Amino acid sequence: MARSTCVYVTYIRTTPEKLWSALTDPKFTEQYWFGMRSESPWKAGSPWKLVTAAGEVLDSGEIVESDPPRRLVIRWQNQWNPELKAEGVSLCTMELEPHGTAVKLTVTHSIERDGSKFIVSVSGGWPKVISNLKSLLETGSVVLQDYERKH
Amino acid sequence: MARSTFDYVTYIRVTPERLWQALTDASITQQYWFGMRSESRWAVGSSWQLSFPDGRACDTGEIVEAEPLRRLAIRWQNVVNPEFEAEGAGQCTMELETSGPAVKLTLTHSVDCERSKYIAAASGVWPKVLANLKSLLESGSVVLESY
Repeated sequence: MARSTCVYVTYIRTTPEKLWSALTDPKFTEQYWFGMRSESPWKAGSPWKLVTAAGEVLDSGEIVESDPPRRLVIRWQNQWNPELKAEGVSLCTMELEPHGTAVKLTVTHSIERDGSKFIVSVSGGWPKVISNLKSLLETGSVVLQDYERKH
Repeated sequence: MARSTFDYVTYIRVTPERLWQALTDASITQQYWFGMRSESRWAVGSSWQLSFPDGRACDTGEIVEAEPLRRLAIRWQNVVNPEFEAEGAGQCTMELETSGPAVKLTLTHSVDCERSKYIAAASGVWPKVLANLKSLLESGSVVLESY
């Protein structure tokens, strides 16, 4: 089947436990994810949503797999942009693997359609979010405060 | 033409001047690039070489574009693996753009060959090198000591 995919890999000086917590604790996600809270009970089948500080739901879905601190799979649908929402549900997989004194984080985000605008959009977003996450865990502060669309 | 490409973007809390220096000073590249020295005079047409710590060449080529603090394009040919070498020279482009208090670094490495094995290999290496570069510039030490 036709598919659009974005893959982003980085290595972070942290432990799998701390990285898992950074990915699943909304008080932590809002520090590096431009104020966004990633909320869920993080059990397979439970609902998931990405919400702004004002409570607006940007994306929502459900947890497909949750294997702390190794693997998280989320069924993920955009809710704020009608064109992106109409593309349907995507799948986002986050894999954590110890690598020496660091953790390899692989984010794979895909949707079952050719030329997806949703995947083009997240391809620009993930490098910002993950760059911020890496800086926050390694140095205590993020690199970008604002999400500038032109970049 | 059929082409294989690897694209990577990262944001680094640094100035364009320091990032440019980190990309073009062999004594800095060896700190985050697992001992490799990226050596050139960094002028258009000048030769370029990525050397192992013992001085042997790993990749060679020439500078196609050099616009300090902004853009670097290197004609890039692997010279240690016959299978990679047979795919011919590729091109690696590095673009630096100021983004608030950070610099956006965009790296694009491509070879004019479908399903390039060299690009598949490079796709595994670049995230390690660039994660090390970001950690070195932001925290003073790399994240991975060995490849």
